[in-house]
Amino acid sequence: MNLLTGEGFWSPLVWLALAVGVALLAWWLRSKGRQDYKRGTEQATPFLSGEPMPEGVHVGGQHLYWGFVEALRPVVDRLRAFHSGVVTDYVTWLVVMLAVVFLVVMLS
Amino acid sequence: MSLAMHVPILAIAVPLLGAFALPLMAKVHHRLRDLWALVVGAFTVAMIVTLAVQVFTVGVQVYTLGADTPDATLGPQGFPIRITLVADAMGAFMALISALLGGAALIYALGFLEESKGKTLSMSLFLLLWAGMLGLKLTGDMFNFFVFLELTSVAACGLIGYRAWESRPPEAAFKTLVMFILGGLMVLLAVAILYGEYGALNMAFLSAQIGGSLLDRVALGLLLGGLLMKAGAVPMHMWAPDAYGEADANTAIVLVANTQAGLYALFRVVFTLYGGAATPEVGYLVTTLGALTVLVAVLMAVVQTNLGRLVAYGAISQIGYMLLAAGVGLVTLGVGPEFGRVALQGGVFHMFNDAACIGLLFLCVGAVRRAAGSGDLRSLGGLAHTEKWTSGFFLLGALALAGIPPLNGFASKLMIYQSVFQLSPILTALAVLASILLLAVFVRAFQGAFLGPRQSMSGAPLSPAMLAGMAVLAVVVIAFGLVPDLVVRHLVAPAAEALWTGRDVYLAAVLGG
Repeated sequence: MNLLTGEGFWSPLVWLALAVGVALLAWWLRSKGRQDYKRGTEQATPFLSGEPMPEGVHVGGQHLYWGFVEALRPVVDRLRAFHSGVVTDYVTWLVVMLAVVFLVVMLS
Repeated sequence: MSLAMHVPILAIAVPLLGAFALPLMAKVHHRLRDLWALVVGAFTVAMIVTLAVQVFTVGVQVYTLGADTPDATLGPQGFPIRITLVADAMGAFMALISALLGGAALIYALGFLEESKGKTLSMSLFLLLWAGMLGLKLTGDMFNFFVFLELTSVAACGLIGYRAWESRPPEAAFKTLVMFILGGLMVLLAVAILYGEYGALNMAFLSAQIGGSLLDRVALGLLLGGLLMKAGAVPMHMWAPDAYGEADANTAIVLVANTQAGLYALFRVVFTLYGGAATPEVGYLVTTLGALTVLVAVLMAVVQTNLGRLVAYGAISQIGYMLLAAGVGLVTLGVGPEFGRVALQGGVFHMFNDAACIGLLFLCVGAVRRAAGSGDLRSLGGLAHTEKWTSGFFLLGALALAGIPPLNGFASKLMIYQSVFQLSPILTALAVLASILLLAVFVRAFQGAFLGPRQSMSGAPLSPAMLAGMAVLAVVVIAFGLVPDLVVRHLVAPAAEALWTGRDVYLAAVLGG
């Protein structure tokens, strides 16, 4: 039941068996922890430097990996400018690529 | 003469005729229309599966229209003059992909589309697009190759833009139509050049004649330009996020199948039609475009705030993986090392895996829009409280697309990584980096749309048909991930082999000898 990849193999069933083993180990370790935790009590609320927990707080999708996205912004801004949404730009790129393709095909 | 002999033409004719009859059924009663669509869809899927069984157990299936017997491909002068349909393992494999996505889209559409918002029109165009895709995958002559390409283009643009009461879908349809028309004209010009040079349109006959003359290369350039655009290769991909992002969910997954049909057409041209004359330089070009497509699409996905466009860029990035793998196959075609074969197998396998997981994600986007009334990640949140099935399906599709084991995307990406590494470790590193970025993108999307506190929603509840459509694709994502070796051995390897070494078999099946 192994998928040969040319350089090695992949067996999802063996991987699953190992994953179940790791999950069981994690569960066993967790069960050794404190027993006085109770859901739905004050214990479950996050600690915000002593400030009260505001209602309905959600870190929206656009905020996740904020720093990561900011680091990529110079590259991404150029790519966004390239995706202008103007159909004549689309056609221009098609023509440019056609020229590149012809260059490769004719010179090969 | 048994019905089984006519399976290739029935697989195309049934959805084609079904599309034109569907509005008439709708005139009688909308329930009759839905029943008709289901019957046509079930019959089409049955024909495709029957054809695939014939191809994978017996061999290449040839069907000649207008001949005394379907296998009489040559006319009285020993010349292939009639229209032929040819189903080899690659064609049958692609037909199975369209059966999967078409079937799931049809089930989903029955519960998703609204009567007052063009349901009849959408379902008619869907069947027309399905027929066009199947025709493109099964045709054995270049003129019908162009005809079916145009049929898919017209039907796809109709499906994207039929909601004329909104502003954005018609605009997206117009942009897509401009690009598809230009691409179609390039293909038509290439067909005209080949016909002028050899006086024939039959692909097998042309393949036997093409030797790499100047005109052959001009035609190849035109075909590559048109089909790379249709497949969504960067920088000719810009129509794709507009089209995927504005289309209905059930339409978006058929557009994925349509894009893959364009990719298949490209493979058919470079491996079968020009198999003896394709140079490694063409392979390097395809590989470069593949790497560029993967990276640019993933980087664009990072900054998307609309869930539909985010998944659309994810879909484009996966086309890059397929081009990367096919490019490695093309580079090594004349030499024939084992890693070239594995790369091609990985690329072909990834087509099916991508169809299942990106299809599942697009259906989830439709479910989110239905439940929340919006697809804007800046306003979404907490959907997991109420939409548990959609949340699970989205997470499953996202993890599979990012290549997380043991789901199906991992198996095909592993084959691609390991084989591409033999050609260029840098390309593999870029591909792995893109997968990591894609995982980050989808974690962000899942966190934004589904996690967080419960929010008030303005949408409508999901129908069982929508959940059933998503469940079909989810089952494939899990099953293909758990038994990839069986899938590769029985479906993928024969399909890849049809491209890698199967050109002579294809020619012999059509031309005899």
